[in-house]
This record gives sequence, C-alpha cells and structure tokens, in this order.
Amino acid sequence: MATLDLLMGGFAAALTPANLLWALIGVTLGTAVGVLPGLGSAMAVALLLPVTFKLDPTGAFIMFTAVYYGGLFGDSTTSILMNTPGNSSAIATAIEGHKMALKGRASQALATSAIGAFIGAVTSTAIVAFFSGVIIDIALRFGPAEYFALAVFAFLATSAVVSQSMVRGLIALSIGLTVAMVGIDTQSGAARFTLGVPSLYEGVSIVTVTVGLLALGEVLHVASRIHRSTDQSREVLRGTGTPWLSLADLRRALPAWLRGLGFGLPFGAIPAGGSEIPTFLAYGSERKLAKMRARRGKGPDEFGEGAIEGVAAPESAASATAGTAMGTLLGLGLPTSATAAIMLAAFQQYGMQPGPLLFERNGDLVWALLASLFIGSVMLLVLNLPFAPLWAKLLLIPKRYLYAGITVFAVLGVYAAAYSMADLWLLILLGLLGFMMRRYEIPVAPVLIAVILGPLAETELRRALAVGQGDVGVLFAGPITLGIYTVILLAVAFVGVARARSRTRARKEETAPSGTVPR
Amino acid sequence: MTTHTTPGATPPVPGARTDWWRGRSEIFVGLLTIGIGAFVGVQTLSMRVPDNTSSPGPQFFPTLVTVLMLVAGIALIVQVVRRPATPDTDGPRSAEELAQEQTGAVGAIIDGHHEESRPHATHSDWATIGIVLGTLVLFTLALQPVGWLLSGAVLFFGVTYAFGGRRILFDATLALVFSSVIQLAFVAGLGLNLPAGILGGIL
Repeated sequence: MATLDLLMGGFAAALTPANLLWALIGVTLGTAVGVLPGLGSAMAVALLLPVTFKLDPTGAFIMFTAVYYGGLFGDSTTSILMNTPGNSSAIATAIEGHKMALKGRASQALATSAIGAFIGAVTSTAIVAFFSGVIIDIALRFGPAEYFALAVFAFLATSAVVSQSMVRGLIALSIGLTVAMVGIDTQSGAARFTLGVPSLYEGVSIVTVTVGLLALGEVLHVASRIHRSTDQSREVLRGTGTPWLSLADLRRALPAWLRGLGFGLPFGAIPAGGSEIPTFLAYGSERKLAKMRARRGKGPDEFGEGAIEGVAAPESAASATAGTAMGTLLGLGLPTSATAAIMLAAFQQYGMQPGPLLFERNGDLVWALLASLFIGSVMLLVLNLPFAPLWAKLLLIPKRYLYAGITVFAVLGVYAAAYSMADLWLLILLGLLGFMMRRYEIPVAPVLIAVILGPLAETELRRALAVGQGDVGVLFAGPITLGIYTVILLAVAFVGVARARSRTRARKEETAPSGTVPR
Repeated sequence: MTTHTTPGATPPVPGARTDWWRGRSEIFVGLLTIGIGAFVGVQTLSMRVPDNTSSPGPQFFPTLVTVLMLVAGIALIVQVVRRPATPDTDGPRSAEELAQEQTGAVGAIIDGHHEESRPHATHSDWATIGIVLGTLVLFTLALQPVGWLLSGAVLFFGVTYAFGGRRILFDATLALVFSSVIQLAFVAGLGLNLPAGILGGIL
C-alpha cells in the first residue's frame, strides 16, 4: 500500500530527536495557550511565525500543528475544573463537565475529555492521511468558479448563518474584505486604499490582523472591565478517586465519542469559523438523545447534573476538526480556521503553496507532518491525562502579569514579522477595532475569514468572469458550484425560518405570564 | 454605576435625550461603517487604473464591498433605533449563558427555542484603556531610539499598572527581567533583530 509506505517514511522523518523536540515544545505551548482564557492557538502560531526565519520548514510546521492540536486538548481542563472555558471551543464541555467535577467526578470528566480529544485527533489525522489521494482528486477538479463559490460559502457561513446577528456579521465581513483589499492589486497593478503610504503597498499582514484583533483587542477588552469584575472564585476542584473510567462510564462515553466525530470531521473541512459549531451541535444532540433514552426508560437523563456524554461528544468533535482542517489546508490550499490561515501564511513565507501540488513537490514535508500529528496526539494524551490539575494552576498567574506578557509578545511578534514600525501603528489601530467589536458584540471570526479568503475570492471571481467574458452564468456552471450554492441557500433559509420562529415564540413568551415556559 | 452611559458616546444633553441614547451608542458603529463604506466608494471611483487592465478590473470588487458596507451600516442603525441594547448584567456569566451567546442561530436550531438575545450595553473603563493605549504609543515611539530592553520593560510595566498592580518596585523589576529574557531568547537564540537603542554599546 503506497500510502502506508509514505506514512512510514514520514514517521522515520518525524522521529528524529530535533523534530520530536519541536513537537514536544508545540504540544506544551499549545496546551498552555489552550488552558489560558483569551489565548488561542491562532494567536500562538501567529506569534511563533518569526521562527520561520531560522527553522527548517518541517520542524516549524511540526511545531505549529502541535500547537494547534494542543490548544484543543488544553481548553477543556479549566472548563471542567473551574467552569472557565479556555477557548470558545470548550464552552460546550464546561456545561456538563463542571457539573461532573462538582459531583466529585472531576478525574473522570478530565479523562473523558482527554481521551475524546485523542480519539478525535487521531481519527481525523488518519482519515486525512489515507484519503489524501481523494482530496487531491477533488482539488484538481476545482476551477476559479468553484473556489469562488467556496469563499462565498465561508463568508456567508461565518457572517450570516453562524453569528448571532446577521447585520453585525455582515459588517464584520465587509470590514475584513476592506482590509484584504488594501495594497497593490496583483492582477492590474493598481494601488488601492493605500493613501499613498508605501508600507501599505504590500497590504496588511494576516499576522498583524490576527494579533491586533485577537490579542490586543482582548487585552483592551479585559482592561475596560478589570476594575469592576467581581472576583471569580479561583478554586480548583480536585479530582478524587482513580482517574480511570469505569466500564459503565466507558460504555456510555464510547458511543458519544464516535457521534462527536460525526460532527467534527465534516465541520473541520468546511470554512465555517472553527470548532465551536460542531461542539455545540454534538452537545445538543447528546442532550436530545439522553431525553429520548429516558423517555423509553433506557437509563436516566443526567443532563444538567453532569452527564458524561455531554463531555465526551463535544471534545472528540472539537479535535476532529483540527485534522480535517489540516487536510483541507494541505490538499486544497483552503484555510478553514484562523489557525490554519496563519499556517498558510507560514507556507507562503517558505515559498510553498499548499494545494494538490504540495503532495508532489513537498511530499516529504507533508508526510512527516502527518506522522508527527500522530506522535503529537500521543504526547498530548500523556501531558493532559495525568497532569490536567497542574495545567489548571496556570490560571493562578495574576491577570496583570498575564496580560502584560500577552501585550509584550503581541508587539514583539508583529514587529519581528517584518521589522516595520508601520505594522506596530497598524497593530494599535486594529487592537482598538477589536476592542470596539467586542464592546458591541460584533463577531471577529468573519473579519479573519474575510481577510484570509478575500484576496482568493476576488482573484477567482475576476478570473472566472474574464474566462466567461463577463457572463455571470459561468459562476453557476458545473455540478460542484451548483451544489455549493444550493447548500448555502438551504442553510440561509433554514436559519431564517428558525430565527423567525424563535422570534414569534419569544413574543408569545413576553405576553404569557413569566415562569410558565419550560426551559 | 448604571446612572451614566458610555463616556464619549453620549452627547451632553440632559433629560429625555440622554435616556434615549442609553443602549443606542452602537449607532456610532453604524455611522462608522457607513463612513468607511463611503471612503471605500470614493477611493474606488477616484482610483488610478492602469490602461491595459482587463475587465473586470480592480474597481469591480471594491464596488461590491462598498454596497455591502452601506447596506449593513444602515441596517444596523435601523435595528439599534428599534431595539436598543439591554442593560448590562454584572458579574461573570455562566457557561450556559456563554453558550447561548456563542451559538447564535445554530443554538436556536438545537434548543428549539432560543430568545434572540440583545447585545448588552456596557460601560467601558476609559481610564484603564487610556493607560494601556498610552503605553503602547509610548513603546512604539521609543522602540527604535531607546531600544527593546527598556521600551519593552516600560510596556510590560504600563500594562501591569493599568490592570491595578501597585507593587511598583517589584513590577518594574519583573518587567525588566521579562524584556531581558525575551532579548536573550529571541536575539541570541533565534537571531531576531530587536533594536538595541541607547544600550547598544553596553550589550
């Protein structure tokens, strides 16, 4: 089997001491940023980008992907022990996980989440490795119209379908598209929106945007509320008893892990803004299933009191997205999450272009990377299963030192990426923008998606229209584009109906006496 | 605490007008969006396009974005005027509330019913933000003349001070140690070029 040989070659390359060290550094760092609230793997990878100047590509990407995977392992630890999700992808885990911990089953909750994350990571990586041929076949069938349809899908999915308010999502999207257009237009050479500033000719770097919106925006947001937030309890719940799952626990967790995969795997491959949505879908479906089981008298409905399924399914869903997101990035050159987008920037710094050709031209790197993902997953299981309570101690760092450190790393990362003072001023501006967006609850994800995919969308749209000589019909020719647009229409219609229905129901609830509506 | 609205977003009019603006300061976000949209539109119209450009040219996509921005900005203003933000709830929010805020329409589908939650009106602590921003500006101005070691330490110290740190001596020492460690790790270890500044001769 050719794939197996290639993967074995990858393991040989990944098992060198240096590459093992990069993987270890990556998983440790990833777990740390995952544990700390407000920090995510996207930011960590953005701040690590300067190492690309020194490191060989294989080592660098092994470290980056290890950070990515580590973030998804670490974020659930504090959700369970302290009800403080380290990332939005662990909010769903916190709901039942913390209740399990309150009942003295913290160890079981942590084990369930760590094993779930491991199952998700390994399964999704294996699927990418063994189906890489299929991914490349699909990618080769993609022309300008198909890529444009995918970008439109990503734009509408993040801004209109997923976000709380469609108007705010679209504002975020248009801000991101504007940022993406700044600079010299690659097709015609026209300078756009540069105001004559030479350092803007190359456009706004994705690193500056990510660090400004995510890191600095978060620092300013926390600063704006620091003096009035009531002190959260910093009590770390202790795990008691054995950290091992009993047979009864396993029997309940195993199907939930597998169902979580069902949500995580497809969502990683589509650009819908990361791993939050599949975790909530997984959580919601487990709750419904438990209710149905209870109605049929097959076991109690423990939801609300710490149901193990509510931890298992979201966790495997979350980390399953990481693997398929890597597959989409490597095979199609399409980033489906913020972290993947920054890795795309890293590929470009090395002069490589992810896509079907990457497997041919840089096959060694790709297979070493995939192999190291398996190794990293095992490392993460070891790091997170017995040591989870130790990681939670990271939250004992006083907030002022934590955020001072983040600020310093933010300016360091942005400055070191291009040694440009203009980037630092831009960083401050983008930090203010990120703060304003948090203040008015405008989602940040559409901005990032738009900055990342905006140039691709514009290039492919113009290319498609030029090929069709101005005929808009070319955008809808072919089964792939039609399929993508149908899915978009269905999703928008579905969400529109759901919104209208919940609005009328809310109106009825307002007129009805309060307290009678079951929640 | 709840008697005054956001500074900077409230015009100095007494009585009923002030009440009307409470929870509606987001109108300025809409105006800002329209403003950026107008800027993009004007820049697009006045863009110098090279002669031999094939159609659709560099103005095509910006035109689409301009329209999107203007429509979204106006829609936001209409929405905020009709449904102002609800008063803020203090204190940390529970995971369930967070989940509701994050899920949006998908949450509505899962839960079956889900009240469309309005954004919370909050009051920002502009003094703290001011110190953080001021330190950032100071750092950016000082980086090249003064060098990383000192300006990085000032930045670290400024943020700890803004966040309420009052152990001046300890924090200042920690800040210096922090920026030195970064200098060692990134300049000596990874070979980055951080400005040495006035300490260049000594190091």
